[in-house]
Amino acid sequence: MQFVRSDHPMTAVINTTDLTKFYGEHRGILDVNLEINEGEVFGLLGPNGAGKTTCIRVVLDFIRSTSGSATVLGMDSRTDSVQIRQRVGYLPGDFITYEKLTALELLEYFANLRGGNLVKARVLAERFNLDLTRKIGELSRGNRQKVGLVQAFMSDPDLLILDEPTTGLDPLLQQEFHELVIEESKAGKSFFVSSHMLAEVEIICDRVGIIRDGSLVTVEEVAALRERALTRVEIEFGDTVSAADFEAVEGVTNVVVSKHKFTCHVSGSVDSLIKAAAKHTVVRIQSGQPGLEEVFLAYYNNTGDEQQGDSDAS
Amino acid sequence: MLRNVYLKTLRDAKRSILYYTIGSIALGLYVTLFYPTIRDATGLTDFLEQLPEAIQALVGDAETYTTAEGFLNAEVFSFMGPMVFGIFAIIAGMGAITGEEESHTLDQLLANPISRTSILLQKAGAMMTSLLALSIGLWIGLVGGSMLAGFDLSVTGTTQAILSLYLLGITLGLIALAVGAATGRKGLAGGIAAAVGVVGFLLDTFLSVVDLLDPARFISVFYYFNSNNVMLNGINFVHFLTLISISAGAIVLSAWRFERRDLAS
Repeated sequence: MQFVRSDHPMTAVINTTDLTKFYGEHRGILDVNLEINEGEVFGLLGPNGAGKTTCIRVVLDFIRSTSGSATVLGMDSRTDSVQIRQRVGYLPGDFITYEKLTALELLEYFANLRGGNLVKARVLAERFNLDLTRKIGELSRGNRQKVGLVQAFMSDPDLLILDEPTTGLDPLLQQEFHELVIEESKAGKSFFVSSHMLAEVEIICDRVGIIRDGSLVTVEEVAALRERALTRVEIEFGDTVSAADFEAVEGVTNVVVSKHKFTCHVSGSVDSLIKAAAKHTVVRIQSGQPGLEEVFLAYYNNTGDEQQGDSDAS
Repeated sequence: MLRNVYLKTLRDAKRSILYYTIGSIALGLYVTLFYPTIRDATGLTDFLEQLPEAIQALVGDAETYTTAEGFLNAEVFSFMGPMVFGIFAIIAGMGAITGEEESHTLDQLLANPISRTSILLQKAGAMMTSLLALSIGLWIGLVGGSMLAGFDLSVTGTTQAILSLYLLGITLGLIALAVGAATGRKGLAGGIAAAVGVVGFLLDTFLSVVDLLDPARFISVFYYFNSNNVMLNGINFVHFLTLISISAGAIVLSAWRFERRDLAS
């Protein structure tokens, strides 16, 4: 499977080719082909154990792929790893770090290793209301995660790789973080963000890849993803209808009919359903506005129903 | 102290370095201040000569035992010194890379533009610098102690013996560091390095009197450290270079492996 947007004029910041990682017998990721474009905020969605972190750690060269390859900012993820990391900011899922250092000391250490300074770090710390004088070991999980965010952004990297970045942040700070991503994205930064929070992806991402059991199921524009969402439609008819009248209608599944009442799920446009319904007397129509959550579940639950995800594959 | 990995490692180890250095000074002072009692004990040489060969191998050469250099050679450089330096170096070495991995900080450290080999070498450098502090401490203890006790001690012999001891510590520490970096297993790293030290010690002392095992002395790091009785006879350059080669080989192999393996998250 390959999800490449050939119409995109910009260069790829991350490009993986059949990237595969096995831990002994255990599957990490399998034949992942990703292309993340410059200036894009790309979300990698999936539940725990799907391979999100594996994917990120291979790209950053912490672990080595079993087969396949990856380039980051046009450089080989293995041979040019040091040069890549000079231009990449990284935030792990759970930012556990040198507990005996104060937040300021840690940022100083990392800034030194990068040959940078703390100008931006101080601005970000102020923004996230982070006390830099306290020891990291004494900080709450949320505050530790703030330190992680600050260190990832402080060197003004071209690409940010963030693994579940808002874990442990309260809703207000999550919002602050989303604003930061949107700002930095406007300033030309590229993002590779893993998440299991669909609401988050919906806010910050341009495109989303869904990963399941180590394989990339689909890559979609966030807008397109929402479009192909399942809508739950409930229609009350003035006359008696049968399920057979609707089962053949395009996009309609899960039809349940009891006397005058009809419910079903529709994927994509409801146009065909409405036209089919118009042959009868329609008393009332109700439909649920789909969240990304439902889209996500649709991809996950329909293991045998791959045509949804594969229609974009080339 | 947060400029680079080398300085950060020293910073983290500062308490341990301080205590071990004080311990080394104390060891030097204790042995030198005790020496006049031995020198003045009559008949000790005769007594030592009657001891079984195995015990003599441990105690040291009976003929020179009552000389300052011979006594220090036997008391400091046969057992206590190697033990203090070995324990310090192995603990420092085994945790150098695996410690960062266990506490989940290696990913973050490596998210910075720095190669794995560079981290390995800086950690090794920090361990060698720490051991230098112990060596200087021991030198101060021995030379200072001999002055306090009022006897002449060969400064050249002492310096060379400490240099050889320093190199033994580096060898054991680097073996621990190398195994840890190559495998990511702290216990294995400490275990192998300790085994190299302990088995090496036994092969060069008790077991060397067993004729069958005598040729095995050549695989002992202790043989290359002090079979020449450096305090009395000076450094044997072949032995010296052998320890350097073992250390260098361990680091090169380890860097090769460390660059290629998966890191624990």
